[in-house]
Amino acid sequence: MPTDSVHTVKSYEQELDRMRAMMARMGGIVESQVAQAVAAVTEHDEEAAQAAPAQDPQVDLLERDVEALAIRLLALRSPMAGDLREIVAALKITGDLERIGDYAASIARRSQRFDLVDRQISLSGLRSMGRLVQENLRRVIDAVTQQDADRATEVWQADREVDEYYTAMFRELVTYMMEDPRNISPCTHLLFIAKNFERIGDHTTNIAERVYYAVTGDNLPAVRPRGGLSTGDDAVAR
Amino acid sequence: MSEALHESPDQKADPESRDAALEVRDLDFYYGEKQALKSISMDFRKQSVTAMIGPSGCGKSTLLRIFNRMYDLYPGQKATGSVMFDGANILDPALDLNTLRSRIGMVFQKPTPFPMSIYDNIAFGVRLHEKLSRHEMDARVEDVLTRVALWKEVRDRLREPASGMSGGQQQRLCIARSIATRPEVLLLDEPTSALDPISTARIEELLDELKRDFTIAIVTHNMQQAARCADQVAFFYLGTLIEMDSADRMFTNPRQKQTQDYITGRFG
Repeated sequence: MPTDSVHTVKSYEQELDRMRAMMARMGGIVESQVAQAVAAVTEHDEEAAQAAPAQDPQVDLLERDVEALAIRLLALRSPMAGDLREIVAALKITGDLERIGDYAASIARRSQRFDLVDRQISLSGLRSMGRLVQENLRRVIDAVTQQDADRATEVWQADREVDEYYTAMFRELVTYMMEDPRNISPCTHLLFIAKNFERIGDHTTNIAERVYYAVTGDNLPAVRPRGGLSTGDDAVAR
Repeated sequence: MSEALHESPDQKADPESRDAALEVRDLDFYYGEKQALKSISMDFRKQSVTAMIGPSGCGKSTLLRIFNRMYDLYPGQKATGSVMFDGANILDPALDLNTLRSRIGMVFQKPTPFPMSIYDNIAFGVRLHEKLSRHEMDARVEDVLTRVALWKEVRDRLREPASGMSGGQQQRLCIARSIATRPEVLLLDEPTSALDPISTARIEELLDELKRDFTIAIVTHNMQQAARCADQVAFFYLGTLIEMDSADRMFTNPRQKQTQDYITGRFG
């Protein structure tokens, strides 16, 4: 339940604000890491490929700081109701953000390990998938900072499309590999990259679920809409 | 799978789902001209702990005091509506107060031992209502002191004055005294606000034991205490019952904004 009232104890309110500010900062950095990962893969941007992993320590540090502050708040303020939900959600959201940062760094590093020169492999699917993942992440971070349950629900639903992209990518990359064994090495890298984008999408959905819970006190349905087929070869993609 | 396994916490919170020991309906209360309670309707379920929370002056203690007709002691105080207890309306002027008060016990904020021995503190109330042999009385005293976890501490000094006990022991003695007459309902008005954390924990543990046999209503300013001990929590503000629900629901996701503001410390 959103509340516009402020705490009678000002220092409590200030600590909550500090936690929110750290989350926003962490979200901003992770968002830029994912943007760098997308640029590294789809535009062969070497600078971006190095920048994404370089931001990892900062994200880890912020995760630890938020955790320490959240534990302090739990111990000293005995938060209740909306405050309790927000703090517990913050603990989990920072965990998801940290994982997203790791995946982005991993994508960026991997983008340097293969080249597609002389290979007839299209990156347009991966480009679209990367952009969608990036956009969903941007929107979920807005939902976190604005405590917006509606936006969180939209992002939660939008992950279906990411799954569909992933299934399509899987099929496409396997086809390239079957066509020419020389495609196997770069396509394996691309497959891992697609999988990492898909994982980023899942963590983004987790964040949307936490925001929804923190704001409303209710949970989104246990099963979220999933995209893509899950039979035959595509089942391997899951 | 049986139906019971599918029971959600919300269903458990349903006041209708277990028998009510006290049924309050459209209760208004006045201190002279001033209305202290406005149209309160709520149930206190048997064998469970109901906590009443709210800022000072919200009417929670007033409600507790109505249940054993303490207001009779003061002129100008008046209650209307009904509080049904075992088929009778507590507000009925014809009701026998001695019987009522033996069936609805009360424990106050500060321990109030009588200026007599530990033994007599308990035996005194029992003698008013029951004729027990010496042996039976000894057994009763031992039984209630054991139930409040005092027996081992005081068994060798039952004839010593109760005033020599620590504050926490005195409060447990007061609870023992209240349950010695075998009441059905136990009312506690901030029973631990004058006690240290260890004595408080003992009393809270005791409530958990006692609720197997009694209906317990507790007024507390300590939110954590309500969260720890209560099955249901009722939030009062300015004489009105704002919200009542399971403790779980009230402290994680209350429905009313006023409740949320109060329990998170954003009030006023």
